[in-house]
Amino acid sequence: MALARVEQLSFTYPEAEHPALDDVSLELEPGEVVALLGPSGCGKSTLLRALAGLVPHFHGGRFAGRVEVGGHDTRRTRPADLAGTVATLFQDPEDQVVFTRVAAEVAFGLENVGAPPARIGARVAQGLTAVGAAHLAERRVAELSGGELQRVCLASVLALEPQLLLLDEPTSQLDPEGAEEAIELARAAGAAVVVSEQRPDRVLGACDRVLFLERGRIVLDAPRDEALGWLARHRPAWVPREAVLPAPGSAQEPSCRLDRVAFAYGDARVLEGFSLELARGEIVALVGPNGSGKTTLAKLASGLLEPSAGSVTCSGRACYLSQDPGRYLVRERAEDEVALAVGGDLARAREALRGVGLAGFEARHPRDLSSGERERLALAAVLVAAPDLLVLDEPTRGVDPERKDELAALLHAQASTRATLVVTNDLVFAGAVADRCVSTAPEREAALV
Amino acid sequence: MSPAPAAALLAGLVAAALLADRTISVAAIAALLLLVCLRAPAPRRRLYLIGALFSGLGVFVISPFLATIGSDVLWTGPTLPVLGTIDVTREELHVALFQGLRLTAVTLAFAAYALLLDHDRLVQAAGFARRSVLTIALATRLVPTLERDAAGLVEALRGRGVEVTGVRGRARLVSPLLAGSLERALNLAEAMEARGYGRPGATRSPKPSWGGRERLALVLGALAVVVGALWL
Repeated sequence: MALARVEQLSFTYPEAEHPALDDVSLELEPGEVVALLGPSGCGKSTLLRALAGLVPHFHGGRFAGRVEVGGHDTRRTRPADLAGTVATLFQDPEDQVVFTRVAAEVAFGLENVGAPPARIGARVAQGLTAVGAAHLAERRVAELSGGELQRVCLASVLALEPQLLLLDEPTSQLDPEGAEEAIELARAAGAAVVVSEQRPDRVLGACDRVLFLERGRIVLDAPRDEALGWLARHRPAWVPREAVLPAPGSAQEPSCRLDRVAFAYGDARVLEGFSLELARGEIVALVGPNGSGKTTLAKLASGLLEPSAGSVTCSGRACYLSQDPGRYLVRERAEDEVALAVGGDLARAREALRGVGLAGFEARHPRDLSSGERERLALAAVLVAAPDLLVLDEPTRGVDPERKDELAALLHAQASTRATLVVTNDLVFAGAVADRCVSTAPEREAALV
Repeated sequence: MSPAPAAALLAGLVAAALLADRTISVAAIAALLLLVCLRAPAPRRRLYLIGALFSGLGVFVISPFLATIGSDVLWTGPTLPVLGTIDVTREELHVALFQGLRLTAVTLAFAAYALLLDHDRLVQAAGFARRSVLTIALATRLVPTLERDAAGLVEALRGRGVEVTGVRGRARLVSPLLAGSLERALNLAEAMEARGYGRPGATRSPKPSWGGRERLALVLGALAVVVGALWL
């Protein structure tokens, strides 16, 4: 018997013109792992929310059809009452944390679903151990790195021992090893798992079945092997690619030089004696495990941080693209947001928006954009300045493969005008875009190349 | 120490500051709370201490111009419509100092609560009104969260070569910060609902037991209220 059944589901968000989901039907069997793929804004997150009962209960909107999970009709059952049967890991880990300490955070869901008090401590420890975060139990959530926080959130949902596990881009902030572990953990939990992912290489190896959504409709629902063939024929950008990283090499005539730099946040030393050179015309990928100082190095290169030892020498203007596109929502029109970096020059701002595929979005409020569109707006906001050094920190987070290819092409086309440093956990993208690859964990460099 | 008795002790000190009649007593309570706040790490306590100082100072500076008490006039200013003649008396200054210190003591007590108490354990220890305690704990996080968001916005602007300077430059960040907070609040509410918040039959992790220090803190909190009402 199916664990979950979706019948002819159509859903339109309040005040939206087009449906987010359009006549979607599917069944989920206990224990199966389903990869949910599709371009940004195609309805993946909405489908996960419908399975959790959050659509329509939390969001309102027009809902037609039927969703049944574990024998409960989601229109008649509150999402809170589905918790425990269903567990959801949302896209942005920072927006789902309730408590200040890790152990209390993991215990929160267990307390809500009425787990026996004497068992809560053991299940918290079990969940944290499963994701390799037992050592974080007494840490403050605010002190964790993005990757560590994502592990803690995963522990929170695994501790519930749900029948249906919904994961919305669970690996967006994890390094490749961490991402592989996360998917394997979800599979090992024994629940039916639906994983929405923008990095097909991270999920297609571990799934049983693939769903592909476009404009709110399911265009593919097939076992993995059959799906791989379909993707190769119809959506080649989504076929998993092997990461082929370029060699470390060295810069010819560097325009930016970081010489034996060191940096510490309080007592926590994150960089020690690291050197890096960047030359105009080249794109360098900076890779390395979570917490190895990649972002710190990026901020040092762009002048946002001062090293505690060593020196940074760069010529010309440097621009830095933050990991968080939510930081590019200062103005009320997209074109004004982009024009900030060029003294309000709207003509250049519009050109930059066109460059990232956001023509026609000039008058839109940045907060009305989807997460993928926000990523592109943020990119336009730094590209518009035509910097001599462009530093991009995880620019492919939440970006679908087709857009990644476009981004790589855009960076290549403009590469001759500047030095470009791309900080990324996305090794496939690093291989596609970079001329050189540098690791913050030198002992792993040989293995990467 | 368990956070519930510590919160009760802070509440007792606040009550004492509000009930006390003498300026010196309120000043002593404010000084004691300041010493407590200084135990927090310097970068975290800075914003709270500035807030406490400015709120107290604000009351001290503004209220003499609005109050009309006393006869020992120290300064006479212009006559304004509605307000009449602006003057400052010795009695007004004394009351302003007293009220300013009171407000400083209250804000310092909040700062000590926000900076030093383990809010997670406070929520877990709440025997009743757990929802209210959780709401207060989440609201307490607003200050550091806004501070972090503001730092993120400023960093992203600097990353684009835009420097944020002056009061006007910072004031422009208020609107995006508030909008971001609302968006975050909605996302958090959704995540809490998905994790079963508000469902009947909730349990809670076993509470840590109280020792001598916890009991002493409760007694001192109650004592502070009585002493504040009768002798300070």
